[in-house]
Amino acid sequence: MFINCLFIGICLYVSLMYVIRCNACISTGVSEFFNMSWIREGELNLIEKLSANILKAGPMPKHVAFIMDGNRRYARKRHVERQEGHTQGFDKLAETLRWCLNLSIHEVTVYAFSIENFKRSKDEVDGLMELAKQKFIRLLQEQENLEKHGVCIRVLGDLTLLPLDLQQHIARAVVATRTHNKCFLNVCFAYTSRHEIANAVREMAWGVEQGLIKSSDVSEALLGHCLYSSNSPNPDLLIRTSGEVRLSDFLLWQTSHSCLVFQSVLWPEYSFWNLCDAILQYQLNHRPLQKARDQHREGQALQQHEADRACVADLLQHHGNGKPLDAQRRQEALLNYTASREERVQDFLGALQHKRDSFLTDLTSQAALA
Amino acid sequence: MAIVYEFVWQVLHVLLHIHRTLITWFRIRLRNWNGRLWSRALTALIVPMALSFPNQKNIVPAPGKRVGRRYRWGADGKSLEKLPDHIGLLIAEEEPRYTDIANLVVWCMAVGISYVSVYDNYGVFRRNNSRLMDEILKQQQELLDLEGSKQLCVEFLNNGTDKQDQQVLSCQSVLKVLSPDDGKLRIVQAAQQLCRAVEQRDKTSNDINVTVLDSLLRESKSTPDPDLVLKFGPVESTLGFLPWHIRLTEFISLPSHVGVSYEDLFSALQRYASCEQRLGK
Repeated sequence: MFINCLFIGICLYVSLMYVIRCNACISTGVSEFFNMSWIREGELNLIEKLSANILKAGPMPKHVAFIMDGNRRYARKRHVERQEGHTQGFDKLAETLRWCLNLSIHEVTVYAFSIENFKRSKDEVDGLMELAKQKFIRLLQEQENLEKHGVCIRVLGDLTLLPLDLQQHIARAVVATRTHNKCFLNVCFAYTSRHEIANAVREMAWGVEQGLIKSSDVSEALLGHCLYSSNSPNPDLLIRTSGEVRLSDFLLWQTSHSCLVFQSVLWPEYSFWNLCDAILQYQLNHRPLQKARDQHREGQALQQHEADRACVADLLQHHGNGKPLDAQRRQEALLNYTASREERVQDFLGALQHKRDSFLTDLTSQAALA
Repeated sequence: MAIVYEFVWQVLHVLLHIHRTLITWFRIRLRNWNGRLWSRALTALIVPMALSFPNQKNIVPAPGKRVGRRYRWGADGKSLEKLPDHIGLLIAEEEPRYTDIANLVVWCMAVGISYVSVYDNYGVFRRNNSRLMDEILKQQQELLDLEGSKQLCVEFLNNGTDKQDQQVLSCQSVLKVLSPDDGKLRIVQAAQQLCRAVEQRDKTSNDINVTVLDSLLRESKSTPDPDLVLKFGPVESTLGFLPWHIRLTEFISLPSHVGVSYEDLFSALQRYASCEQRLGK
C-alpha cells in the first residue's frame, strides 16, 4: 500500500518537475515585436496562473534581486550585434517585472551597470549609456502608466560618474516617481557594493564632522541605513543568470542572509518557469534562512546593548563624582543614553535623506534650465 | 480554492524533501557500494592503492603510500589550469564533523592552496578551534608523511601585525578560522575607527574611499580575497561569510561535508579551473 502511494507520489512529482523544468528550457522562440516600454501589459496564461497560485500558497519573497547576465553571450549565440543583446535584455527586464507583479513581488532590484563595466570598449560603454538615456526618456513619457501601476523607480550608485545629461534624465525619472508606493524598481547603475559600503562609511563620517552623530553611534544598523538601498528591505532572493556563480560586487552587505540562486539560462532567454524555479528554491531555504537571520538580529541587538552600556559606563566615570551609582540609576542612565542616541541617529538620517533629495532636485532644475 | 492550492503546495514540498533525501541516501550508498567493490578488488590483486574511500579509515596505510599520495595530490593541483590562492570552506550544516573538515583542510593544502579558511554560521569553529587544530594535526599524520605535516601553519584571523606576516612567510599554507564576527562586525569596527579619526580631526570624510577601507579590512597585506568558496549543506546562502571580501568569489555548492571525499573536492576545483572571470570587461 505504501509502495503504491510512494509510486503515485513520485509520478506526480516527476511530471510536475518535468512541466516546470521543461518549460524553463524552451527558448522564447522567434522574437516578437516587443513594446519597448518599461511595463509589459498582459496577464499570465492558465498554466502560469495555476503555478503562480500554487507557489503563492507558500512563503513568497517580497524583494528579489537580479544579476541580468548573459546579454553578450546571447548576442553571439544568435549572431546579432552586441547592442541588440543589451536591448533584448532590457525587454526581458520589462517582462520579468510584469511576472513579479503577477506573483505579488513588489520590489525588484537589478544590476544594470557596474563601475567595473567602464573598463569595456568606449563603443560599448557609449552604447550602453545611450540605451540607458533612451530608456529613461521613455520612462518619463510613460508617467501616466507608471502612476497607474504605482511604480517607484530608484537608481542606486555613484551617479556623478555618469555623463551629465544621463544624470539629469535619471534625476527627473526618480523625482517624478518618488511618491509612488505600490511597487519598487531599484536600478543599480554605476554601482559596486564596495563603493556603496565605502560611501556609507563616508556619510557617517560626514555626520560626525557635522556634529550630528558621535563615532560611538556607528553600528551595523546605522551603516545599513546609510547605504544607497536604505529605503528598501534586504533582498530575500538573489538570482544570477548565465551560469556564473559569483556575486560580482552586487549587494554584498544586503544579501548576507538571502537565498542565492544561480541559473544557467542566459538573461534574454529568461522565462516565467525559470522565475518559478528560483522561487521554489527560496521556499525550500526559507526556514533555515529565517532562523539564521533571527539569530543574527539577536546578536546585533546584544552588541548594541553592550556598546550602549560601555558608553554609559564611560560617561558616568568622566562626569560622576567618584561614587558608584546604584543599579536603578545606572539603568535610568542607560535608557536615557539609548533614547538620546536614537534621536541623534534619526536627525542624522533625516539630514542625509535631505542631502540626497537636494542632489536630485538640483539636477532636475539644471535640466529644466538647460 | 485557496485551500486546494495550499494542499498542492504542501504535497509539492513534501515530494521535494523526499527527492532530496533520496538523492543523499543514494549518494552515500553508491559510494559505500563502490568502496566495498574496490576493497575486494584491492585485496584480490594485492596492489597498493591510495586511500580514497571514507569507510576504509580503519586501514592505516604504510608510510610509502602516504608519500605517494602527497605527490599525487600535489601533481593534481599542478595539473589544473588555475588553482585558488585562497579557498573558503563554508559549513552550512547544523552539526560539524571535525574529522571531515580536517580532511578537507589537509587535502586543500596538499593540492597546493596557500590559504584555507573555515567558516560556520554559529561561530562553533572559532569557539572550538583547539579541537579543530588537534583533528587537523591527527589527519595530517594519517594522510600525509612527516615532510607534508611540517608544511602546515595555523594562524587565527585577528588584527594583523608584522610578526604574523613573518610567520606567514615561513609556512607553505595558512589556515584561518572564521566566524560571523569577521564579516559585518569587522566592517563596522573599521567604520568606527575611521569615524573616530574624523572626530579627532586626523582625517576628513572625503579621505574615506574603497582603498582606505580595504586596507583596514585586509588582515595582512599578503592575504588574498577568497577566490573560491565551497559551501557544504543544503542552505543556499553565504550566511554572513566575509561580505567585503567575496566580491569576485566563485561559489560551488556540495551537498554535505559529512563523508566528503578527495574526489568531491577535486571535481569542485576542476569546475573552478574552468570558469572565466571577465572582471567587468
